[in-house]
Amino acid sequence: MNRNAITAVAFLVMFAGLGAAYLYLSRDVAAQARNAAQAPAFEVDPLWPKPLPNHWVLGSTIGVSVDESDHIWIIHRSSATLGNNEKGLELKPPTGECCAGAPPVLEFDQAGNLLNHWGGPGQGYEWPSSNHGITVDYKGNVWIGGNGEGDAQLLKFTKSGKFLLQVGKANARAVPADKEGVSKFGGNSNDNTSFGRVAKIFVDPKENEAFISDGYLNKRVVVLNADTGAFKRYWGAYGNKPDDTNLGPYNPDAPPAPQFRNPVHCAELSVDRLLYVCDRVNDRIQVFTPAGKFIKEVFIAKKSLGEGSVWDIAFSKDPQQTYVFLADGRNMKIRILKRDTLEELTNFGDGGRQPGQFYAPHSIATDSKGNLYTTETYEGKRVQRFVYKGLRPVVAKDQGVVWPR
Amino acid sequence: MRILAAMAAAAVLFCGGPAFAHDVPDDVVVQAFLHPSGGRLTLLVRVPLAAMRDVDVPANARGVVDLTRVDAALRHAATIWLIQGIEVRQDGRALPSGELESVRLSLPSDRAFGSFETARAALEGEPLDPTTQLQWEQGVLDARIEFPLDHPGGRLAWRADTRRLGQRVTTVLRLVTTEGAVRAFEWHGDPGLVQLDPRWHQAALSFLRAGIEHVFTGPDHLLFLLCIAIPLRRVRTLVLVVTSFTLAHAATLVASAYGVAPSGAWFPPLVETLIAASIVWMALENIFDSVAGRDIEADGGRAVARRWAATTAFGLVHGFGFSFALRDQLQFAGSHLLASLLAFNVGVEIAQLVVIVGAATAVTLAFRRLSSPRVAAIVVSALAAHTGWDWLLERGAVWWQYPWPLPSAEALTAMAIWVSIVFAAAAGAWGVRRVLARSAENADRAAVSGKPA
Repeated sequence: MNRNAITAVAFLVMFAGLGAAYLYLSRDVAAQARNAAQAPAFEVDPLWPKPLPNHWVLGSTIGVSVDESDHIWIIHRSSATLGNNEKGLELKPPTGECCAGAPPVLEFDQAGNLLNHWGGPGQGYEWPSSNHGITVDYKGNVWIGGNGEGDAQLLKFTKSGKFLLQVGKANARAVPADKEGVSKFGGNSNDNTSFGRVAKIFVDPKENEAFISDGYLNKRVVVLNADTGAFKRYWGAYGNKPDDTNLGPYNPDAPPAPQFRNPVHCAELSVDRLLYVCDRVNDRIQVFTPAGKFIKEVFIAKKSLGEGSVWDIAFSKDPQQTYVFLADGRNMKIRILKRDTLEELTNFGDGGRQPGQFYAPHSIATDSKGNLYTTETYEGKRVQRFVYKGLRPVVAKDQGVVWPR
Repeated sequence: MRILAAMAAAAVLFCGGPAFAHDVPDDVVVQAFLHPSGGRLTLLVRVPLAAMRDVDVPANARGVVDLTRVDAALRHAATIWLIQGIEVRQDGRALPSGELESVRLSLPSDRAFGSFETARAALEGEPLDPTTQLQWEQGVLDARIEFPLDHPGGRLAWRADTRRLGQRVTTVLRLVTTEGAVRAFEWHGDPGLVQLDPRWHQAALSFLRAGIEHVFTGPDHLLFLLCIAIPLRRVRTLVLVVTSFTLAHAATLVASAYGVAPSGAWFPPLVETLIAASIVWMALENIFDSVAGRDIEADGGRAVARRWAATTAFGLVHGFGFSFALRDQLQFAGSHLLASLLAFNVGVEIAQLVVIVGAATAVTLAFRRLSSPRVAAIVVSALAAHTGWDWLLERGAVWWQYPWPLPSAEALTAMAIWVSIVFAAAAGAWGVRRVLARSAENADRAAVSGKPA
């Protein structure tokens, strides 16, 4: 056999081998897809968002929402949570060329460009002493809560920052000063005019009702008329009348608490009209009808102490909202649950400061393409995007950091 | 009395509503459906009201729009901000200006523009509940505009001056054909007249132009071509090398357009890195050949074959690079994807031949005046290698941030396909080489025997 014939045969053998490998592997892929549970897969986008202008930096970032144009809105605590070594530019006199706290409300586009910024005290409303939670509703209104000492109000603005509505009064939760003259604040979960440090707002387009997670001082969910701010109803854990009794520290081995612990950190309504409430420190999600009838609860990482495991949730963007994405700021990961059973399928993330890692993931939201956005509080001080990579078979419960492949 | 009081309150609330004159918005998305049917062309369009400024809007002191009286403001906004800027052509002839049939104010969360049918149903349906509290700049305008067609059928082209709506305007247009097929387009700013259903030669011509432009605007491809040209003088060799390069990049470009390329974020930076590496390789090869005193063309078949084998391999890589540049353009190919891709490749080939013949001529003329063309070839190649090396490090650093994809069965399957393509290219190259070698042998034999080959 001459050299040419050997080369031609070698090519044929290689083609045959590759064809066989392709057939075998395709069968394997199909089998994997058939057998394993499927869950949305993500990869961190390390280049999103783009750097902020004006030497601005974020403070503790405690809210994220995605509007109808897929713009990403965040709220953060800016200079109030920056150390002097971080905000040299805004000290008097300035101690260096960098940096300054960015305005509290920031709007980004899908490319990560900063489009708009506003926020802070103004005429006609009481800006929270500690911002908390941001929601852009179906009319394009921007809702903001607050968990500062005297915060008992929530605010509504247009997207351009024009003030529209305040519900509740700052310092409404003040109680008589103690013997040393130090002012104090106490919960009143049965008040019909003000709140107790609101964590987050959800607006139901169908009934034009706002669901308030109330909050860091109160222990209830409140429902308002989203136009007027009039109180319509409220309830506590299991649909009970809320009670502000101090329950003491969470004990995972004790029977489930009959009331929410502070903070009640989210209340999100699904397309099939089930309200999912984050009872953060009790490590549980409670599910209600919009009228407040208790349906079920599920515990997530029940042994988690301290701040608890159930910080915020977002639903997947398929029409059925098949999955729930849960920000677990205690365990530094995002958990993916099946919404019908609330069973955890998988999770991703880990503690750390590199892209895809977390320092207290506090808030979470999805855009229309299925991408996830998270914000981090405390010293995390950032917003991250996780790009949706489609449904994939679950091969590991703990995925770790979902770095781009 | 109550009625009088209510009327007085309404007068106070709604009289003297503000003329909205806000800043130009940063980011505006225009959604549109075009549907020809019989002798008419229906345009359904949705634009954020924030983009429509300087309109007298009936609103109360808090800026809440009076939905019972907003129709005139919406019609005015649609006329001055939309209709006046739209040009539709049928078979090259401009249609008369569109007639505004209906308008509607919708909430930003309204999903009616998901399809032509739901958008049309919304525009024909009930208006927004008049008790809805909404600010002008937070609503969206839906409008139905009708154009009379010259005749049923025909090819449509569209141009809309949307730039004044915002700083960055994205248009998402869907053509719903009479058969019900949907062809989607998306562009930023004003791309000029867009052929919505181009004939094959219109599509081919625009892609041919794009191919030519791409070569002249891509410094890395130009530098690679210069490196190819430096040691070559004969037109036959130049054409052979450039054509092998073109055929190779055509293969990967077409394959990418049909979705065969890896989708991982690591892939584009890898390709860009390999393109930089190809420049370094060719430049170094030139230097080594010049230092060793080798003349590729004088050495004959084997040396030339080595060069075009290298350009074939690098052509596969450059094809992916072209595909990244072409990604946003493919929507304008209509139903002529393959013809458009081939035209793009022909455009690239033409531009490459122009560049390479120009470069070879320039190199020949320049070197002829020099006492040592070899040294000149080394210097020029060294400069090219230096630039390529800079790009290699820069792009490699970006690529290095992405780890290799995990060897999942899915990834291995894709890899098997790609290895097959590479082997097919290698087999093809080997076959061509055999044919060339045989013809050279025949020529030699004929020369020895003194007979014509």
